[in-house]
Amino acid sequence: MSVIRHFVKKEFRQVFRDKQMLRMLLIVPIVQLIVLGNAINLDVKHVRLAIFDHDHSEVSRDLLSRFRSSDYFDIILADQSKLSALMDRGKIDISVVIPEGFARDLGSGSTAKAQLIVDAQNSNLAGIATGYVNGVFGSFQEDFRNRMLEKNPDIKSKIHSVEVVSRVFYNPEMNTYFATIPGIAVLLLTIITTLINALNIVREKEIGTLEQLMVTPISKFQFVMGKSLPFAILGYIELAIALAVGMLWFKIPFAGSFLLLAFSAALFLMTTLGAGLLVSTVAQTQQQALFTAWFFLVFCIIMSGFLTPIENMPTALQYLTYLDPLRYMIKVTRGIFLKGSTFFDLKYELAAMAIYGTAMFALAIFRFRKSTT
Amino acid sequence: MRLRAIILKEFLHIFRDSRTLFLVLLMPVFMIFLYGWAVNLDAKNIQIAVADLDQSPASRYFIDKFAQSKYFQVTQYVTQPDEFEDLFRRYEVRAGITVPADFGKSIGNEFATSVQLIVDGYDGNTAQTVLNYARAIVAQYNTELLPQGFEAPIEVIPRFLYNPSLESGNFIVPGLAAVILMMISALLTSVSIVREKETGTLEQILVTPVHVIETIVGKVIPYVFLAFMDGMLTIGIGVLVFDVQFEGAAWVLLTNTLVYLYSALALGLLISTLASTQQAAMATALMLTLLPSIMLSGFMFPIAGMPLILQVITRLIPATYFLEIIRGVLLKGTGYAELYHNTLILFGIGTLFLLLAIRKFKVRLG
Amino acid sequence: MNAVIEDSNIVVETHDLTRKFGKFVAVDKLNIAVKRGEIFGFLGANGAGKTTAIRMLCGLLEPTSGTGTVAGFDIVKQAERIKSRIGYMSQKFSLYNDLKVEENLEFYGGVYGLDSRALKQHIHETLERMNLQHVRTKMTAELPLGWKQKLALGAALMHNPDIIFLDEATGGVDPVARRDFWDMIHDLAAHGKTIFVTTHYMDEAEYCHKISIMHQSRVLIQGKVGDLKVQTGMKTVEELFKHVVTQGDSA
Ligand SMILES: Nc1ncnc2c1ncn2[C@@H]1O[C@H](COP(=O)(O)OP(=O)(O)OP(=O)(O)O)[C@@H](O)[C@H]1O
Ligand SMILES: [Mg+2]
Repeated sequence: MSVIRHFVKKEFRQVFRDKQMLRMLLIVPIVQLIVLGNAINLDVKHVRLAIFDHDHSEVSRDLLSRFRSSDYFDIILADQSKLSALMDRGKIDISVVIPEGFARDLGSGSTAKAQLIVDAQNSNLAGIATGYVNGVFGSFQEDFRNRMLEKNPDIKSKIHSVEVVSRVFYNPEMNTYFATIPGIAVLLLTIITTLINALNIVREKEIGTLEQLMVTPISKFQFVMGKSLPFAILGYIELAIALAVGMLWFKIPFAGSFLLLAFSAALFLMTTLGAGLLVSTVAQTQQQALFTAWFFLVFCIIMSGFLTPIENMPTALQYLTYLDPLRYMIKVTRGIFLKGSTFFDLKYELAAMAIYGTAMFALAIFRFRKSTT
Repeated sequence: MRLRAIILKEFLHIFRDSRTLFLVLLMPVFMIFLYGWAVNLDAKNIQIAVADLDQSPASRYFIDKFAQSKYFQVTQYVTQPDEFEDLFRRYEVRAGITVPADFGKSIGNEFATSVQLIVDGYDGNTAQTVLNYARAIVAQYNTELLPQGFEAPIEVIPRFLYNPSLESGNFIVPGLAAVILMMISALLTSVSIVREKETGTLEQILVTPVHVIETIVGKVIPYVFLAFMDGMLTIGIGVLVFDVQFEGAAWVLLTNTLVYLYSALALGLLISTLASTQQAAMATALMLTLLPSIMLSGFMFPIAGMPLILQVITRLIPATYFLEIIRGVLLKGTGYAELYHNTLILFGIGTLFLLLAIRKFKVRLG
Repeated sequence: MNAVIEDSNIVVETHDLTRKFGKFVAVDKLNIAVKRGEIFGFLGANGAGKTTAIRMLCGLLEPTSGTGTVAGFDIVKQAERIKSRIGYMSQKFSLYNDLKVEENLEFYGGVYGLDSRALKQHIHETLERMNLQHVRTKMTAELPLGWKQKLALGAALMHNPDIIFLDEATGGVDPVARRDFWDMIHDLAAHGKTIFVTTHYMDEAEYCHKISIMHQSRVLIQGKVGDLKVQTGMKTVEELFKHVVTQGDSA
């Protein structure tokens, strides 16, 4: 135990002496959380919309004013002959063309047609923006029908319709950052702890101090613990900072148990620190360590469900996500943070993390060699 | 000739360390395949739960509308709506629909019936999507109930420009090329220079009569080459494997890629003058290149949705401009007529970084 | 040369110890025997294989073939038990530059498992012995090279090892400091410690009890310094070395 204590002391001395690194570790995450929390904003609001009304009817003017009063759109005034050039230059996201005769067709019972031209580079965005436009048309249509029905009270009495009453749990305003802040927190935790452990050990290899250590009678377990514990503590500090930013800056309510989160973090840190250690056993230089760790990190991040919900992925890849430790930790953190999920709600995720962490750590200890073959 | 000696030395470094070379070339391949396959921004098969309190043919017909939609998948039937929250906490479904007990009876008797939709809001984006889709399905259902002559049909005919197949890949892959180019070049240059600083070999070079500019150019050229190969690899796989469109002219893309690389390498140089250890260089490079290129360039998250201050910052990031260029060339088929100002800005940013780096470099020597 | 006498006093012994890196043979069939209290000098040109041999003896590098024991323990199977009995000072300075002088000593003492009282005392003694008290709280990076070497030696001795491997311990050290170094080495040997040194300074080799001259991964000649001089008719180790190496080259 005392050997490990000396290790922890030494690592902390080194970390706290390297002011440049310390700044990176403590201040940068705060900046990143704040910047990224604001940047990752999938609430599509300012869709730049151009409307070309060739109908000039009361009906089309009604439509126009509905688009204007919607929060989702910024109306761009443009000449239709310049439309294609404007879209090429990315000045307009979507345009609606109401052809001549729109009102006439609508009243007569034949289908009234409107044309939509969408910049579909980002298919997701295109879909959402199209949804908004359809929504405006839909509510316009509903009001139009209602006006028709008002004139025919006998028919109106026979009509039935279903209305949706919705309630949104945990995040009634559906802010994107509720999910992204805990996600980024875990992401940063993963990147920092994996890399720092790998780079730290490989650096000792590069400058030769590792050899001096390997000639001491210290056991593999002591070495691994001595290296990992300080960075685990650092990981906890990072997590605490991230939570504080989420709760104080973004005002996200913390619904669950801090203790459960700390416990989950321990399981998760075993995985990331173990992965860092594994990387250090194969890398000879810090550059190699960085690029090797990169593969692990990219896999973890992409498959975690952070960038894209897992259910959107092809089925085969969905199975692959079970191999991703980050997948569980993001779920667990969001669950505890936002939903107040309990140990029993998350038992499968926690079990998976425990298995992963133990296996990774054991593998790292097993792979680590005090002598070169 | 001195320049040649430095370039040669740098190439030797790169090719001797075959593992790094391998990793650097494998990385874009790995990233593009993972991204290309996994990242799909279009929600479908959202899992929902249903509490059918009515259990009538009418209620089942209504629920079927959801089950048959490609957007939803009914995976759980519960007896009580208060079970939904349990399911949310275990992440089993994204939403729950409660059909009231008098649903079947009320048809034909009352003007409207309320169906309750409870959404797990933790992921705001998906929650919004769930709401939109659910409303659209219900609207469709309501139209069916209308008597003849009151449908007032409107057809909105969309035309999807630049990406008619609505493939996420067309959007993601060009962006990925921008990220990879930036990351590889800025990271490799900064780390390799700082490494020489750490081991003292940079001092050795600087005592020779080689001009500072020569040193820098010599160090950087091999990385231009590597990063360029990575970029081509990414775009090549994108076009060949993921069927990404290529509407514009290759030479426009190639020349712009070089200008972009110029700015990326200049940034790498600047970082190398700021950092004193490899670890610090890596951390700074990740901070200043990777994250902004992914998060702030419009790669995945639309710039228009960001707060104003961040929108200003995005204009300082080379990847923002290159993204517009590469997407323009690949998807829109645009050329220099539309893109020249982006090229100029990229060149300007690069030159700015370079001047700053040289100044820093000289200060340190003086 | 294979006839190494079994002797209970022998603390370092190897039989045909060989190490290859790929096809390249760095150490070829090394046979040595070092007795307790001896100062054993390992001489040889750059790249002769000295460091490789020492790293095998310290359990840092696994031999390709051959066997060896250090302090009675097998260098392959019992490497970990050897490690608490030896001190090692590598050719390249390998203490932490970003720790203070006393912090380096504290760390290594701690890693060797000294309890806090012993640790305090050993740090004090080491600083005293190495004449480093006045730089106790200085950053190691700021020390001149010779002092760094003294610190490294001090750290290697913190746990009072029986066998000490010094790989070019005096490289880059000024003559006065080298003198101090060798005074200390003799002192240690007088207290029953076994010292294994490599050096390129032939005057230092004169201080050794036994030497072994390596050339291109092989030992050309080894024995007591006096005996070897008589055998070859050379007056100094320097002459001896040049003589043996030129012979080795022409052979
Ligand atoms: N890990 C390794 N991989 C490949 N070759 C190695 C390795 N370590 C040492 N060598 C080679 O083995 C030979 C012996 O090296 P070693 O360091 O043992 O020599 P030395 O006698 O200590 O030299 P010096 O006096 O310069 O310290 C050298 O040619 C060296 O290049
Ligand atoms: Mg050597």
